[in-house]
Amino acid sequence: MNGCGDIRDQLAFYLDDELSDLDRVRFEEHVRSCHSCSDAITGERSFLELLRSDGRGDSVPRSVRSRVEGVLQTATEAERAPADLRRRVEHLVGVPRSVPAWRRFAVASMAVSLALLALAFAWRTSAPEAVGPSEFAVMSVATHQRHQRGSLPLEIETGSPEAVKNWFGDKVPFLLELPTYQEVSGQDRLYGIGGARLVAYRGDYAAFVAYEMSARPISLIVTSTTLAPPSGGQIVVARGLTFHFDVVDGLRVITWSHRGLTYALVSDLEERGEDSCKVCHAGAPEQDFLVELRVDRITGFSGLQEP
Amino acid sequence: MTQGQIDREFAAAALDHLDALYGYATALTRDRMAAEDLVQETYLRAVRAFGRLLPDSNLKGWLFAIMRNVWLNQQRHDRTGPAFIELDAEDDDRWRFLESGGASPLAELEQSETRVRVRAAIESLPPAFREIVILRDIEGFSYQQIATIIGCPAGTVMSRLGRARDRLRLLLVDRRQGVAT
Repeated sequence: MNGCGDIRDQLAFYLDDELSDLDRVRFEEHVRSCHSCSDAITGERSFLELLRSDGRGDSVPRSVRSRVEGVLQTATEAERAPADLRRRVEHLVGVPRSVPAWRRFAVASMAVSLALLALAFAWRTSAPEAVGPSEFAVMSVATHQRHQRGSLPLEIETGSPEAVKNWFGDKVPFLLELPTYQEVSGQDRLYGIGGARLVAYRGDYAAFVAYEMSARPISLIVTSTTLAPPSGGQIVVARGLTFHFDVVDGLRVITWSHRGLTYALVSDLEERGEDSCKVCHAGAPEQDFLVELRVDRITGFSGLQEP
Repeated sequence: MTQGQIDREFAAAALDHLDALYGYATALTRDRMAAEDLVQETYLRAVRAFGRLLPDSNLKGWLFAIMRNVWLNQQRHDRTGPAFIELDAEDDDRWRFLESGGASPLAELEQSETRVRVRAAIESLPPAFREIVILRDIEGFSYQQIATIIGCPAGTVMSRLGRARDRLRLLLVDRRQGVAT
């Protein structure tokens, strides 16, 4: 080599420090005696320096840095085994992940009731005192919005609650139960699951389940109560459970805790009072279900102003 | 050394690359919110997997490779394909220099204009070219490291980088004066 053509071919490799020692020596020997190639190197070096000095984007926003620091902070908590390690060890030593059948049934039943109650509470207004939404409520609304914008595509697309539950089985550090009243009761199919995905929350994964009803999206986000104890918002107590109702960015979000899990339900539905129940359960064959719910709901809202 | 100390060292080292990862995420997604989600997801995966990272591994390259894999997985699950939503207009650098209050307004103006031109030129590249320029010319990865990150032969990295720079040269180099400023 050592002709100008060879040198020009290797110019980028030289400036990128990708030449072998031998080729580099030969390259530099040629350039020392060739003004044309020397000028070419100067021009190319200026061009690359321009890219390096002015091509870099903005620094990361402070909010993102805080989120990442939260993720890493979890990694430094030596006193608590990471959830992933905990699951792997439990699997190795043979700890069963499933819970007894009676408990699964109870949890599923409560999940149905809770979802309906939450929808019923969503459209009440003017609590005597309301404080700001919890971090989990805000995250849930942001998750709903990002999913709507297409930033959080579903990782599993299915209309089956059972398939969604099974998909989360080895991905989240808790046993997820989803409302199945529509499927179990045989009522008219008014809403359906679109799918689900994992979402990050405080250094671990939370479950995000996308529902749709008449083309209107409803999001259910679930994590452990240890990570996200419900708080803030308009508080309503019913059936021994405490519901927190908030409006964030024009979206309604209800959070509650049950059996170690915290749920958040986000929607833009506008129906009020008992009509909200009928939105999802207008075709329910067991009308006693709605009657019971109504009684409970009114009791629960006794201290609040009717809309 | 305890596991906790190792974790703290990892956390500190990983944070050093936050800005670089955010820049790469922005180049991949071209959407600020998606980039933020991608950064967080990358660190979450890294925290879970860093026990498998060999002691002498290149942490920065490893984080970039995780980010790219997360992004590719997201694209596979997104039926609508990559979201090429432009950054918010109010965050555009074209307007930022107007708010600066330095001692030399003319110099700052020229510097800002150059920066805007360079970034606009990089932004205008096709995604595969833009990515390779970010990894090599902004972040300084070697050809082999880039090949590992994006999962292609080093020869592909070289040819792709050459074509990307040719395009940028056409956009940025003044034929009469050399490099445009």
